[in-house]
Amino acid sequence: MRPANAVARRAFADSRVRTISFAILFAVAALLQATAYRSGYPTLLDRQRFARSVGDNPATKLLYGEPHDLLSVGGYVSWRVGGSLAIFAGLWGLLGAVRALRAEEDAGRAERVLVGVVGRRAVFLAQLAAIGAGAVVLWLATFAALVAGRISVSGSAYLALAIVSSIPVFAGIGALASQVAPTKRLATALSAGVLAIAFILRAIADTSSAGWLRWASPLGWGEELHPFAGPDPIVLVLPAVASALLLLAAGRLFLYRDVGTGLLPLRDSAAPRLALLRSPTGLAFRIERGVLVAWLLGVGAFGFLMGILSDAVTPDVLSEEVRRQLEKLGSGSVVTPAGWLGFAFVFVVLAVSLFCCTQVSSARFEESEQRLETLFALPVARHAWLAGRILLAAVSAAVIALGAGAITWVGAATRGAGVSLAELLAAGANVLPVALLFLALGMLAFGLGTAPALLAVGIAGQAIGRRWQRAVATAAPLVMVFNAGLLVILAFRGVGVDL
Amino acid sequence: MSAAIRTEGLSKRFGETVALDGLDLTVEPGEVYGYLGPNGAGKTTTIRLLLGLLRPTAGRAALFGVDAWREPVAAHRRLAYVSAEPNLWPGLTGLETLEFLARVGGNVDTAYRDTLVERFQLDASMKLRALSHGNRQKVQLIAAFAARAELLVLDEPTGGLDPLMEIAFRETVLEAKERGQTVFLSSHILTEVEALCDRVGILRAGRLVDQGTLADLRHLHAQTVEVTFDGDVPDLPRLPGVSVVATGASSLRFEVIGGVGPLIAALAAHPVTSLTSRGPTLEEIFLHHYEDEGRRAAG
Repeated sequence: MRPANAVARRAFADSRVRTISFAILFAVAALLQATAYRSGYPTLLDRQRFARSVGDNPATKLLYGEPHDLLSVGGYVSWRVGGSLAIFAGLWGLLGAVRALRAEEDAGRAERVLVGVVGRRAVFLAQLAAIGAGAVVLWLATFAALVAGRISVSGSAYLALAIVSSIPVFAGIGALASQVAPTKRLATALSAGVLAIAFILRAIADTSSAGWLRWASPLGWGEELHPFAGPDPIVLVLPAVASALLLLAAGRLFLYRDVGTGLLPLRDSAAPRLALLRSPTGLAFRIERGVLVAWLLGVGAFGFLMGILSDAVTPDVLSEEVRRQLEKLGSGSVVTPAGWLGFAFVFVVLAVSLFCCTQVSSARFEESEQRLETLFALPVARHAWLAGRILLAAVSAAVIALGAGAITWVGAATRGAGVSLAELLAAGANVLPVALLFLALGMLAFGLGTAPALLAVGIAGQAIGRRWQRAVATAAPLVMVFNAGLLVILAFRGVGVDL
Repeated sequence: MSAAIRTEGLSKRFGETVALDGLDLTVEPGEVYGYLGPNGAGKTTTIRLLLGLLRPTAGRAALFGVDAWREPVAAHRRLAYVSAEPNLWPGLTGLETLEFLARVGGNVDTAYRDTLVERFQLDASMKLRALSHGNRQKVQLIAAFAARAELLVLDEPTGGLDPLMEIAFRETVLEAKERGQTVFLSSHILTEVEALCDRVGILRAGRLVDQGTLADLRHLHAQTVEVTFDGDVPDLPRLPGVSVVATGASSLRFEVIGGVGPLIAALAAHPVTSLTSRGPTLEEIFLHHYEDEGRRAAG
C-alpha cells in the first residue's frame, strides 16, 4: 500500500492551507459564541428573555436553524454556530473533493499518479482518506474550542460531530460532480449549487410549517441530531448512508471513464464569437459571465424567498428588545414588511461582498495561471488591466444587488406586501458601499500578493470588525462575510498556487 | 516472450472524432521504436491508451501481454512514462517530486538517479514552480529513467531541452537500450528518431501509414542520384521508376524507386565524371506522407 499511502499524504499536504483556515474559523466561531453567550446572558432570566425574543424569529431561524434549547450555553452554541458551520463544513468537503478528483486531473497531474503502480480504486480511496483526515482535523478544532468554552466534553464531541457530519455528504456530492463535469469550474459550480439548494430547503423547513423538508436537506440532518436537546444519534445513519451511496457512485464512474473527461461532453470546437474580445476586460467578462448569472440567480432566489416571507413577521413574534436592536440598523420596524426586507438585505450585503471576494480570487487566478504574462507582454498596462477587473467586479456587484432588489420586489408583490420597487432597488443600491469595501480589501490583499499579507489583512479586518460589532449590534454577519471572503481567497489560492 | 507493446485494432473515438483508427502495432522487447506523426495525428491518444488512461472504443492494447485497460497496475509495474507537458506539483522541490514519483511508481535505482541528476544538471532543491519548462521536463526524464523500467514510454520528451541536454538525453536512451530496456519514443524531432530508433512508425489521421526499420523505409522510398557529365547533358531513354527532378548545364538529379541498376546501365554509355547516391532522410519520408495529406486536404 506504499504508493497509495504516498498519494494520500500528498493530497493531505495539498489541502493544508484550506483545512487550517477552516479549522481556525470553526474554533474561533465556537469559542467566541460560547464566551459571548455566557457573559451576555449570565442569569436564567436573561436567557429566558433572550429565548422568547429570538427563538421564533424567522430571520435568525433562516440563518441559524431551529433552536432547541436557548437556556444552556451548549444549546445556544449548537443553534448559533451549529447550522452555519455545517454549511462551511459542507463547503470544505465539496472543495476538497473537487480539488482531489477533478482539479488535479484538469492540471494533468492525476495521470502522473495513475501511470504509477497504483490503481484507480486505490487512488480514489487515498484521496478520500486525505479528506477524512482533514475532517478529523476540523472535528478536533471544533471539539477543542467547545471544550475550551467550558461546554461538557461529551456534548462538545457530539456537537462537533453534528457539524462535520455534512462533510462526507458534500464530499460525496463534490466527488460525483467531479465525475460528471469535465472541468473543475463546472464541478465546483454543480456541487455548490447542491449546497445552495440544501441550504434553501433547510431554510424553508425552519421558517415555515413544512418542517418535514428538513429531512430532505443534508444540512437539516445536522439539526435533527439535536445536540444538547435530547440527542438523536440514530440520525447519523442518514449522512452515513447518503455519503456511502454518493461515493460509491462516484467511485464506479471514476473506475470506468477516460482520464481527463467527464460524463458531460466538453464542447471542444465552436464557431468564432468575437464580440467580447476587444479588450482584456471584455474577455474577463466573457469568462465570468456564467459566474455572474449564477450569483444573480442565487441571491435572487434568496430575495424572492424573503419577499414571500415579508408579511409573516407580526409584532408578537419579536420582543421589544430585539425590535429595538434591529431598528438600530436603521431599517425601521422589522415587523413591517419594509423593515423586515431591510433586515433581510443584511444577508444580501453578505452575499454580494462574497461575490466581490470571488472576483479578487479570479483575478489572482489569472496571474497564477500565467495568463497575465501573455497579456502584459502585449501593449496592456498593468493599471489598465487592474482597473478593468475592478470595474467589472463593481458593475457585476451592482447588477447582482439591484437584481436582488427587483426579484425581492416580485416576491413581496405576490403577497401584496405594499413595498415599492423603488424602495427595494434603493435597498439593493445600499448594499454596494460595504460590498465595494470588501472588493477594495480583497484587491489590497491581492496587491500584497503573499500569504502572510493575506493573513495580515485578515487580522486587520477582524480588528475593525470587532469594533464595528460593538457599535452596531448586527454587524456580526459582516465579520462573518469577511472571514468567508478570506477563506474563499485562500481556497482559490490553494487551488491555483501552493503556498 | 510477449511483445513489449502489442495493439490489435486499437481505436478511440471522442464523440464524432476518430482519434485512432484500428492501430496494429508490435514493439518487441529491447527495441527502440520511433512513433512519428504530425500534430493531431493521434500519437498522444495512442500513448494514453497504452497507459490505460483512456478506454479503447474498439480493439485492445497489451504491454508484456498484460491488458493496458483491465490491469493497469500490473502493466505499470513494468513501465515508466514521460509526458509532453511536465505537469507536476508546483509546491514540491525537484528532489521531493522524484521521491514522490518513485514511491508511486514503485521502483527506483537511487544511485543511477543521482548520476542522472548530475548528467542533466538539475538543481533538485528548487521548487518546481520556479523551474523553466525544460528544467521541469528534466525532472520527469530523471524519474522515468531512474525507475529502470522494462518499457519507457516517452511522449515528445525533449521539448524545451537545450542542445547539451538533448545529447544527455540521447546518451541516456542508448544506455537504456544497452541494458535491454524497450523504448517507445513519440517525437517530432526527426534527427533524434533517426539517431536512436531501430524501427519507426508513421501515423497520419489516426492510421499507421508506414512502418519498418529505417533501412526498409529508405528502400521503399525514392533515393536520390546525382550525376555530373563531362560536357552537355546527354539524352537518356525513359526508364521505369526513374524520374528527373532537376536539370543543370552538365548535371542531372534523379529520383529512383526500386533498384538503380537500369539507370547505371543507361549511364554507362556516357561520359560520367561523378555519381552520388543517397537514400531518403527520415524527414523526406515523413514529408512525403505529410504532403500527401496536405494535397488530399487541398483536393
